[in-house]
Amino acid sequence: MAMSPAATVARRALAAASQGSHEGGARTWKILSFVLALPGVGVCMANAYMKMQAHSHDPPEFVPYPHLRIRTKPWPWGDGNHSLFHNAHTNALPTGYEGPHH
Amino acid sequence: MAHQAHAYHMVDPSPWPLTGAIAALLMTSGLAIWFHFHSTTLMTLGLILLLLTMYQWWRDIIREGTFQGHHTPPVQKGLRYGMILFITSEVFFFLGFFWAFYHSSLAPTPELGGCWPPTGITPLDPFEVPLLNTAVLLASGVTVTWAHHSIMEGERKQAIQSLALTILLGLYFTALQAMEYYEAPFTIADGVYGSTFFVATGFHGLHVIIGSTFLAVCLLRQIQYHFTSEHHFGFEAAAWYWHFVDVVWLFLYVSIYWWGS
Repeated sequence: MAMSPAATVARRALAAASQGSHEGGARTWKILSFVLALPGVGVCMANAYMKMQAHSHDPPEFVPYPHLRIRTKPWPWGDGNHSLFHNAHTNALPTGYEGPHH
Repeated sequence: MAHQAHAYHMVDPSPWPLTGAIAALLMTSGLAIWFHFHSTTLMTLGLILLLLTMYQWWRDIIREGTFQGHHTPPVQKGLRYGMILFITSEVFFFLGFFWAFYHSSLAPTPELGGCWPPTGITPLDPFEVPLLNTAVLLASGVTVTWAHHSIMEGERKQAIQSLALTILLGLYFTALQAMEYYEAPFTIADGVYGSTFFVATGFHGLHVIIGSTFLAVCLLRQIQYHFTSEHHFGFEAAAWYWHFVDVVWLFLYVSIYWWGS
């Protein structure tokens, strides 16, 4: 994963700051937190949000592949046929999607 | 009054190792009982005993170190070795799951369609929420370093702020991952793809929760003046653990989310 020139420069500054025991180390990392780290999170939040809006909400077509939706042993909860984070909209059962909208 | 002619800590007899071992036995056998006989009693008992053991054992360590002064430099050195060795063992733990992932994904079998991701699997877009998760953990690495320097410089308020921010970022990561788990078009039962994905990322998520909890305990201790600018090993151990969790994520992201898509 290539790093941007700004990130490379920042990385060198970070390395220097963490080695020095002189006053101001906290200030350096505080600045880095509010100028680089948190804005970086903000940019990625915006990016993720926009990308999610862009793609279709329909789950893929159901094909009863034998190598998927394995049910060798039922789960110890519910009817034993639904995974822990089962989502009826995006996760088909071995027999196909549940509910009316597919 | 008793006097010791050495700098080491001869720990007083304690029941917590025994209760911890009993908890481990109850949880493992309880898990088997749950799977085969549908009763969660034994496992729940084990879990409660585990939580009580952790709370009381670590509370005793804080009492011995912070309040009774038993954590002299050589004792602290031993604690450092201990934490480093523990984290090393965790590295090996994750190495196993990465081995499993690469074993299955480098030479995908005909049953999967001879390709990776297997036929019928829609992997998550690595540049959506997974990238955000990467930014969140990297940012938390920056804020925890800010916290460390604040503690070393005696900046009480900044230490509290930066530590709180680190924990919030950790919680944000956990919330995002939980949402991803729910929204994913594949489950743990979707062949070896599902198994490797959810076991590796699942154990990682558990470690994020553990790390966040460790940091939260440090925040409470910082607020209660436990740490000095020279002596704050509990915080350092938490910070090391947190960096380890971050590094594991980076490997997960590059291997499973990015290369694996």
